[in-house]
Amino acid sequence: MTLDPKVPEGPIEQKWDKHRFNLKLVNPANKRKFEILVVGTGLAGSSAAASLAELGYNVKVFCIQDSPRRAHSIAAQGGINAAKNYPNDGDSIWRLFYDTVKGGDFRSREANVYRLAQVSNNIIDQCVAQGVPFAREYGGTLSNRSFGGAQVSRTFYARGQTGQQLLLGAYQALMRQVGRGQVQMFPRRELLELVVVDGAARGIVCRNLITGKTESYAGHAVLLCTGGYGNVFYLSTNAMASNVSATWRAHKKGAFFANPCYTQIHPTCIPVSGDYQSKLTLMSESLRNDGRVWVPKKKGDTRAPRQIPEEERDYYLERKYPSFGNLVPRDVASRNAKQMTDEGRGVGETGLSVYLDFSDAIKRLGEEKIKEKYGNLFDMYHHITSENPYQVPMRIYPAVHYTMGGLWVDYNLMTTIPGLFCLGEANFSDHGANRLGASALMQGLSDGYFVAPYTLGGYLASAKLGAVQSGHPAFREAERAVEERIKTLLAVKGKKTAVEFHRDLGRLLWDDCGMARNAKGLKEALAKIPAMREEFWKNVDVTGSGEELNMTLERAGRVADYLEFSELMVRDALHREESCGGHFREEYQTADGEAKRDDEKFSYVAAWEFKGVGQDAQLHKEPLAFENVHLAQRSYA
Amino acid sequence: MNEKKKLNLTLKIWRQKGPGDAGRFVECKAENISPDASFLEMLDVVNEGLVKRGEEAIAFDSDCREGICGMCSLVINGKPHGPELGTATCQLHMRTFQDGDTITVEPFRAKAFPPVKDLVVDRSAFDRIVAAGGFVSVNTGNPQDANSILIGHAVAEKAMDAAACIGCGACVAACPNASAMLFVAAKVSHLALLPQGQPERMRRVAQMRAQMDAEGFGNCSNEYACEAACPKEISVRAIARLNREYLKASLCSEE
Amino acid sequence: MKHSCKFLHSSIGKKFTVGAAGVLLCLFLVFHLSGNMLLFVGESQFNAFANTLDTNPLIPAAEIILAAIFFAHVVVSLWLRWQNKQARPVGYADYRAKGGRTAGSRTMTWTALLVLAFLIIHVKAFRFGGRDGGMYHLVLSSLSNPYMAGFYLLALAGLALHLSHGVQSAFQTFGLNHPKYMPAVKALGWAFALIICGGFAVIPIWALIKGGL
Repeated sequence: MTLDPKVPEGPIEQKWDKHRFNLKLVNPANKRKFEILVVGTGLAGSSAAASLAELGYNVKVFCIQDSPRRAHSIAAQGGINAAKNYPNDGDSIWRLFYDTVKGGDFRSREANVYRLAQVSNNIIDQCVAQGVPFAREYGGTLSNRSFGGAQVSRTFYARGQTGQQLLLGAYQALMRQVGRGQVQMFPRRELLELVVVDGAARGIVCRNLITGKTESYAGHAVLLCTGGYGNVFYLSTNAMASNVSATWRAHKKGAFFANPCYTQIHPTCIPVSGDYQSKLTLMSESLRNDGRVWVPKKKGDTRAPRQIPEEERDYYLERKYPSFGNLVPRDVASRNAKQMTDEGRGVGETGLSVYLDFSDAIKRLGEEKIKEKYGNLFDMYHHITSENPYQVPMRIYPAVHYTMGGLWVDYNLMTTIPGLFCLGEANFSDHGANRLGASALMQGLSDGYFVAPYTLGGYLASAKLGAVQSGHPAFREAERAVEERIKTLLAVKGKKTAVEFHRDLGRLLWDDCGMARNAKGLKEALAKIPAMREEFWKNVDVTGSGEELNMTLERAGRVADYLEFSELMVRDALHREESCGGHFREEYQTADGEAKRDDEKFSYVAAWEFKGVGQDAQLHKEPLAFENVHLAQRSYA
Repeated sequence: MNEKKKLNLTLKIWRQKGPGDAGRFVECKAENISPDASFLEMLDVVNEGLVKRGEEAIAFDSDCREGICGMCSLVINGKPHGPELGTATCQLHMRTFQDGDTITVEPFRAKAFPPVKDLVVDRSAFDRIVAAGGFVSVNTGNPQDANSILIGHAVAEKAMDAAACIGCGACVAACPNASAMLFVAAKVSHLALLPQGQPERMRRVAQMRAQMDAEGFGNCSNEYACEAACPKEISVRAIARLNREYLKASLCSEE
Repeated sequence: MKHSCKFLHSSIGKKFTVGAAGVLLCLFLVFHLSGNMLLFVGESQFNAFANTLDTNPLIPAAEIILAAIFFAHVVVSLWLRWQNKQARPVGYADYRAKGGRTAGSRTMTWTALLVLAFLIIHVKAFRFGGRDGGMYHLVLSSLSNPYMAGFYLLALAGLALHLSHGVQSAFQTFGLNHPKYMPAVKALGWAFALIICGGFAVIPIWALIKGGL
C-alpha cells in the first residue's frame, strides 16, 4: 500500500480553491439520502456535524459525556489564532502558515498548513456570527493578544475561556440541528468498534454507557473527532474521559496511525502532589513573562525558598539561554525542568517541581500591577495548592498537554480506510512535531466547519456505496467482539485495578518516552509493555456488571487500549533517530543542548499499519517536501 | 516542608442501583486522605478501595476536573458543589474539611434530572432547552467580517458574564423549587445582549421558556440560592432579564 | 386570547400574575390603612367614612374586583407551590442552600396561611358583622379583647414578613433588577412592610389601651 496524500497540484495559494472546484458535489436533493456518523463533539465534531446537517445530510452524533457541550475542547484557555491582521502588525496568511510550519519543526504537510491559515479568518467571522463573546476594545472591535512562537498579535480570546466559548458556539449550532431533527444525538456512547464493509467504513458499534447495551449504527461515512491520547501518560491536562480507544480501534481496522511519538509537554503546570492525583492543571505560560525560574544550586536543599540566599540559587534558564531567558519555547523550558529534577535539585515535597518566582517582579512593578496581570492565575494556584504565590514562589512542573500524532489523513482528512475521516486533535494534524499556542482551536474548527463538509461531499459523490444496514453480518461480528471483550474483562477477577495498571504504564512512559527519550530507555519500555499487557489480562480487577453504568469497566477497556497503543508510541519514538519539536532524543542534540533534526533521513510522516497485537507494526513513509518554507535549525541561546 | 496531616473521614453517600431503585445512604470510610486532594480524588481513592474489596465503585460524573466542563455535580453537606463559593466539586479541596468529619454526599435532586445510578443524574433536559432556541440561526459559510459587528467593551463583558455558564445544573440542585431559571436566563441574556442575537430575540426566549416548563422544572421564587451555588457566580440579574425578555416577547411577538 | 392564556400558563407568566396581584393588594393596604387612620381623627369622622363605604353602590363592585385579585394571588401561588413540590419528588436529606433565602422567603406559605386565617376572621367581623354601635365602637370592642388583639398583631407580623420578601421579589419578577437600584428596592420592601404593618398594629394596641381604661 502506498500513501497518497492527494495534495492538489499548483501553487500553494491556489491548491485549496482549485481542489474545492474539482471535488464532485452532492446534489441538494441527494444529500438527505446519506447518513453520516460523527463520533466526538469537541470543536471538530460539533462544527462538522452542525455544518453537515445544515447542508442537508442526516447526521448521527455520538459523545462519551452526558452532553455534547462537555467535550474537552471546553478547557482550552488561551485563544485562537487567525491571520486577520487587525492590529496592523504585519500578519498575513503567509506569515501564519510560515510560523506554524516552523513552529512544528518542519514535520507537517505544507499544503494542509497553508489551508489552515487560509480558513483561519473565516473561523473568526463564523464564530462572531454565532454570538461567541470574544474580548472587545472600547471602540467595539475585536481584541488580540500575542502568544508564543509568533511576533504578531493574532490571538483572539474570550477571557481565559476561549475553548469554552468556541465550543458552546459549535454546540449551539449542533443543538439547533438537533431541534430541526437533522441531527440525532447519542450521548453517553463509547465507540468500541469501527465497522468496515467492502473496504469502506460503514458504521460503528458502541456501548451505551447507561444501559451497557451494545448498539450498532450504519452510515455512509464515519467522522472520528475523538481528540488526543495524552491520557496514555495517566497524568495529563486532559479530561478523565479523553482516551485513545476510538482511534486505536480504527487503527486496528486498517487506519494508519501517524507520528504517535509527537506529544507536547507544557512547561507551566501545577506539580503533582501525591499518588491520589487524577489530573494536572495547566497555567498559562504567560506567567513566564514576569516569573523567574530557579532551583537551589545544592542537591537536596530542603530549606524554604525564602531561606535560600540569592547566590545559592540557580536561575538555570537565564544562565543557559541569556538572550531568551525564561521565555524559551515550551519544549526547551520543559526539558530543562526535567533535567534539574533528575539532578536531584527539584523542590517541593516530591522533589518534582521547580520554582517560578515573582518576588523580583513584585518588587519592580508592585503587587497591584502583578495582581492586575495575573490575578486569576495566582488565585487558581492559591486555590489548588493553598500556597500564596505573592509570598512564596510558585512551584511548577511540565505536564502532557496535547498530542500532535494521530490517525494519518490525506488532504481530504480521510484516513487509509475509505469513508473514515478523522478531524481535530485525533488526526496527525497540521502541527508537525510541535503545536504553537492557540492553534489547536483553529485546527479543530477549520477541519469541522470548512474542510470536512467539502471533502466528505467529494467522497460521497464519487464512491459507489451500496446499501448497508446495521443488521449486516459485519455488524454482528463487531458486536460479538465487543461483548466478548467486555465479558473477558469482567471474568478476570484479578487483584490489581485498571487504575493501578494505568498509573504504572503512565509512569513508565513518562520516564522513558516523555520529555526526553533515548534508545536504551525506549527499548526497555518496549520490553516492559507487552509484559504489562499480559499481566493486565490475567490480573485486572473489574467489579460490577456489563449491563449497567460501570465506570470501572469503562476505565479498564480504555487502559487495555493504552497498553496496546503505547507500544506503537514507543516504537515510533525509537525509530525516529532525530530530535524534533516535542520528540527529543537525547542522542540527537546540538552542542548547546537543542533538538537536532535529521532532515536527510527523517523528513517524513511515519504512518504505521497495524499487524496484530504484539506484532511489529509496518512503517509507511509519506515524504515531506518543503517548497515554500525553508528548512532551518532552531536556536534560542 | 512539613508533612501535611492526612484526613480520616466518614462519608454518608447516596447509593442507588438504577432509576427503579429507591436508593439509600451508605456509610463508608475515607482514610488517609491528603488535604491537597480534590473532593473527586478523594472519591477516586474510596472507589479504588471498594474495587479492591470486590465491591462496586460509586458512580459519579466528572470529566475535565478543572471546573469548566460542568460534568461534575454532587450535593455535599447540603450544598451543590460543596461549601466553597464559586467552585465546582472538582475544584473543591479536602483541606476545606476537618479530620474526623462526616460528609453527606447526595446527587442533584430534581424531577427534570432523573437519577441514573448512585450520584449520577440525567441532565439532558438542558440540552433540549438549548435545542429549542438557545442559538443564533446562522449556517456555516461566509459571514461578514468579524469587525463589521461592533460590540462595546462593556456589553461584550456582560454577555461573557452570562455565557460563562458551564451547564452543570447546580442552580437547579440548589433551588428550593428545582427551577432552571438561572440556566435559561444565562443563555437568553448572553444572546439578547449581543447584536447577533437580535433577529431571534423574542422567538428564542419564548421557545426556551416553553421547553423549560415542559421539562418539569419548578418555578423561581426569587430566593437566589442558584446564584450562591453557581460555580461561575452568574448573577440573578440574568433572571430579571429573562423575565423582562419573556414579558416583552409575550406582549409584542406576533407568533 | 390564546396569547394571554399561554403567557398566564407559563412559569414566568404565573409569577408575573402573583407579583402583579400582590402589588395591587399592597395598594389596597395603603388605602385601607389611610381609612383606618381616621380612627385617630375622631369617632364621628371614622363612622361617617365607614358609612360612606357601606352605602356607596360602587363598593360591592370594587370588592368583587378586590376579591378576584386576592383569589388570583392565592390560587396562582398555590398552583406554583404545587408545581414546585412536583419538581423535586425526592428531597434532600441535608439541604443548606445559601443565597438570598430570608426568613420572609422561607415562610411565604406559612405567613400566607396565617394572613388567610386572619382575613376570614377579620372580614367576618368587620364586613359582615353587625354595625350597631357604629364602626368605631365595633373596632374598639372587638380589638380590646386581648386574644383578638394578640391574634391581630401576630397576623400583622406575618404579613410584614410576607411583604419583606414579596415586595422586592415582585420587582425581580417584573424584570426590574439593576445593581444600582436593587439595594434600595430591598430596603423599600422592608420599609413598606414595616410602615404598613406597623400602622395597622397601632390599632389593636390603641384598642387594648383604650378599652382597658
